[in-house]
Amino acid sequence: MARKNATPEKLPTPMKYRFSKYKKTLVLLTMAAPTAIWLLLLRYLPMGGIVLAFKDYKINPRNPSFISNLLSSKWVGLNNFKFLFMTDDAKIMFRNTLLYNIVFIILGIIIPVAFAIMLNEVTKKFVAKTYQTLMFFPYFLSWVVVSYFLNAFIDGQYGMITAMQQAAGGPVTNFYTTMGPWPYIIVFANLWKNVGYSTMLYLSAITGIDSSQYEAAAIDGASKWQQIVYVTIPHLRTMICILFIMNVGKIFNADFGLFYSVPMNSGALFPVTQVIDTYVYRALMVTGNISMSSAAGLLQNVLGFVCIVTANGIVKKIDADSSMF
Amino acid sequence: MADNTKKKSLRLNSVSTGTEIVIHIILGLFCLCCIIPFIFVIIISFSSEASIRQIGYSFVPVEWSVEAFQYAFQKLPQIWRSYFNSIFITVIGTVLSTLMCALYSYVLYRPDFKFRGFFNFFSFFTMIFGGGLVPTYIICSQVLGLNENYAALIVPLLVNPFNIIVMRTFFQSSVPLELIEAATIDGSGEYNTLFRVVAPIAKPGVATIALLNALVFWNDWYLSLLYIKRNKVLQPLQALLMELQNNVEYLNRMAGQMGAAAINEAAKMPSQSLRMVLVVLIVVPIACAYPFFQQYIVSGLSVGSVKG
Amino acid sequence: MKKFLALVLAMIMVLGLVACGGGNTDAPANNDTPAQTDTNTPADNNTDTPAEPAASDLEPVTLSIWFDGSTVTPDASATVMAELNAYLQDKINVTLEPIWGTWADFDQATVTSLAAGDDVDIYFTCNWSGDEYNKYARDGYWVKLDDLLPTYGADLLSTIPDGIWECAKTNGYDGIGVYAVPGLKDTATQNCWDLNATLLAELGYDVDEVIAFASYNPDFYYSDEFEEMLQKAKDAKGNDFYPLVGEPVVFERMVNNTSIVTGDLQTANVLSFYYDPANPSKDIGSTIVNKYGTPEFKKFAERTYYLAQKGFISPQTQGTDTSNAYMEACRADANYLFCSQSYAFGCEIEYSAARKIDVRMIPAAAPYMDSTSGQGAMMAISAVSKNPERALMFLNLLNTDPVVMTMMNYGTEGFTYNKNADGTITFIDENRATYSPWTNGVGNIRILPPTSDQGTDFWDRFSAYYDSAEALPSGAFIFDYSDMQNEATAIGNVYAQYGFQLMAGATNPDDVLPEFLSKLQDAGIDQLVASAQSQLAAFIG
Repeated sequence: MARKNATPEKLPTPMKYRFSKYKKTLVLLTMAAPTAIWLLLLRYLPMGGIVLAFKDYKINPRNPSFISNLLSSKWVGLNNFKFLFMTDDAKIMFRNTLLYNIVFIILGIIIPVAFAIMLNEVTKKFVAKTYQTLMFFPYFLSWVVVSYFLNAFIDGQYGMITAMQQAAGGPVTNFYTTMGPWPYIIVFANLWKNVGYSTMLYLSAITGIDSSQYEAAAIDGASKWQQIVYVTIPHLRTMICILFIMNVGKIFNADFGLFYSVPMNSGALFPVTQVIDTYVYRALMVTGNISMSSAAGLLQNVLGFVCIVTANGIVKKIDADSSMF
Repeated sequence: MADNTKKKSLRLNSVSTGTEIVIHIILGLFCLCCIIPFIFVIIISFSSEASIRQIGYSFVPVEWSVEAFQYAFQKLPQIWRSYFNSIFITVIGTVLSTLMCALYSYVLYRPDFKFRGFFNFFSFFTMIFGGGLVPTYIICSQVLGLNENYAALIVPLLVNPFNIIVMRTFFQSSVPLELIEAATIDGSGEYNTLFRVVAPIAKPGVATIALLNALVFWNDWYLSLLYIKRNKVLQPLQALLMELQNNVEYLNRMAGQMGAAAINEAAKMPSQSLRMVLVVLIVVPIACAYPFFQQYIVSGLSVGSVKG
Repeated sequence: MKKFLALVLAMIMVLGLVACGGGNTDAPANNDTPAQTDTNTPADNNTDTPAEPAASDLEPVTLSIWFDGSTVTPDASATVMAELNAYLQDKINVTLEPIWGTWADFDQATVTSLAAGDDVDIYFTCNWSGDEYNKYARDGYWVKLDDLLPTYGADLLSTIPDGIWECAKTNGYDGIGVYAVPGLKDTATQNCWDLNATLLAELGYDVDEVIAFASYNPDFYYSDEFEEMLQKAKDAKGNDFYPLVGEPVVFERMVNNTSIVTGDLQTANVLSFYYDPANPSKDIGSTIVNKYGTPEFKKFAERTYYLAQKGFISPQTQGTDTSNAYMEACRADANYLFCSQSYAFGCEIEYSAARKIDVRMIPAAAPYMDSTSGQGAMMAISAVSKNPERALMFLNLLNTDPVVMTMMNYGTEGFTYNKNADGTITFIDENRATYSPWTNGVGNIRILPPTSDQGTDFWDRFSAYYDSAEALPSGAFIFDYSDMQNEATAIGNVYAQYGFQLMAGATNPDDVLPEFLSKLQDAGIDQLVASAQSQLAAFIG
């Protein structure tokens, strides 16, 4: 797949350098080697463990090493996957995971791209740098800390909003049992935390644009807006597509802390906060079964793989250069 | 010289004053949202424990105190060692991982590389599928000997397929192939081409990846949890924080089951302001390092980069 | 593309197997003498030989032991281990390599290490965190000790009372037996109301009268007197004061006198026995119930909701993530009237001093013993251990030799504590802060020297109190739901959604309870209870 869409055709290599062509391949191979070896050892070797998802993992006390345990454990087919589909809650968690991720993907492209373009237009570079630095701060804070921060506003006893409601004499909202605001809180929290990160990626892509292209466009009488539409965005297209495809691949995975810590693990909010990852976590708090967690992870990966291949296919149809493979 | 270019392009690129004000309002508000929680964390770290007990976390504590900072540095000598560990791991890890990422993605970027398709898929595939925690742990600790040493805190995080793809995209969008062609014809070796010709152009991309890598190493605590058990001297700072955090959460969850034991232990847990002190101690260094990377990312903003 | 994928997969398989072979080479070498044969033969052969061979006859071995809940710095550990290891080498030729695990290790590091077969000889284990003891005994992680104990743990057998050994028995991989050494610690459970007596007196009550009225009184929680006290406190201290503080889950247990069924779904805790508060050992018909479906639970939830609506329970108490920290804060500031308390011997004295008020305990029920308390802190020998006998010899020494226990638990003299003339000890707080394992998690704490605060006869009184506890009629029963894991996971999630908030009075049971129960039913609670019931019937015999 990837070979076919290699952008320009092979570099012209004079025939008399045939030997050097092999040499070139060899040299390039040495460049790839460190990472390739790492991937082989730390990613591909452990993949044998995927069979865990289809086994009832038990130790084999006669020879208690992982491999012999794995081999002696019973095959249970798809039994380890069943718990994900046991009850009606399955629908809710799959729905929540998908919907939130779709919103995250869409807003997660529009806003950072807009911010990156805006930052690029800020005339005082010092100010632009400051903005960019500040935007990055939320990325440093863990969800637990974020949950404390949010709690300072909406806590039922100490919260500032609660205090305001009390002062106004109105009824006090218990946010941790009221579902209404949570979809917005979660979407906002997610954007707030990750926008700085993506903005930086897009901004560095903008940085790579040859400024002579803007100059040429300006000389042709293109307005600022036209420059953005015809020069900046096409340049970002590859980055947008790549990030889009990668995010689609994680569409069945949710950011655990966002859905667990931020709503303070409140049961009354499950209809809007339960996602696959929190469900699996709570399930395994009960059974502690590593086969089941492997199964859940594998399912998420397989679904993600299907999605990523589909998304890549779609992107390829529209713009072959921007697809991932 | 640089000033000259800057001025020229500024004139050409500038937006109207009105638009710029709108931009400042939008970005300014968002940045405010971003920085306030951090100020909040700083305020809590300077709040007295009694204040937190009395009114919870608040922007306006009843009583200020530096006790938690004093406690952190006196009672936890490990903090200094952990600081060193974090910095050491981050520096070594960032250099190695960025180098490996650049090499690998450069190869993927070269359309004339014979096995490009294979290596592309080879890294991409691991982004989706993994062997899971236990098998990876076994390979690392029992086969590769990543146990109770610095390597255990660095090696498992060296490669991130996501970064490889991002880096490759950077190369594709900012390095013209003609440049490599020209260099090859000039007799430049592959490594020479990469480090002398390509790398300077791809600087913003390399700096971005380096920053992302630095963040990963700085923030990691899970490796320490898995691989550093007997030799806790090696714990990085983030691991100290997460250990406190996880303990508090654990005791909270188990309080109903453990009874008196949990209650007494929970009372012994370091204070809430101490946890915020650790957050501050963790964020400040990386925030200070940020401008260093940023200078490569933003400085290029108005300077045309691809001039042979 | 497909071909390529197939190729990659095939490669993984091949490599995986090669690596497995590679990884294996050292593992089986460790296990040339499989743990199982070990456990049988030496016991049979050695019955005549002296139980404790001289240290010099023994091969020197290094044992690693994984503690939990410790706060120990690397430096402090090195200081103490230097002294302890010198002593141990002399006694049993063992060098100890401790892993000072913290609380959260249970969930992640320990489980990973166990599954991966790391070379750790002894693990802390218990029944309340993931039911690790019973579950891992079933799955073959622990060495069965029954045959080893007479030879290598003779002192242990005589030191730990039979009742505790009985509680430690479980149906493991090699049949029913003891798979870990139980710690001789606070081996009984007693639920109490922690009363702020100073505040109650200020409100104009006769404290002793209230205590007499409330003790062992199953209707106390529902009484008008209780409500009146809470109301008066609220009136006196203002709207921000919440007189009823505690762990909602414990409220339920102390009000309804339910006990935990060992092996239940952990935090979800859906199964319960009822017991007679004044006389726990009385057989009132051992039936396991889905406690959320009982009229008692409905009554409790309604009452709690009512009390919460009245403003007696803080929203902080009603939050899963905030309740424990809030309770700690309230107790530290004496900012409560009644609080739930799972009693620990002597705690009211400690609390009174810490909170600078008069803290009194009102027993909701008499102390009882069951496998939940008996299996509260244990040390299991890993099936991976190369030296299970030596590990047991060490555990034997740890639990019977005051020198070893004191060093392990309290540190070394002159470093973490000083000895007083009357035999008590006083901690050197500065160093003790760097070396404090979880006291109860180490083992037999009754052979520790008393601290000067506790007084010289502390451990005698301690033992007298705990040994007086009566055993629940079916207290040694252990539920096994390993063939119902799918149901268990679903029930766990349903509980997380409704259970806690109902017990905390955060949601109205009239609206929520029927929904909760029907969801539990969908998740398979009836099958679970039926399975527990039939297992119990088989257990009783």
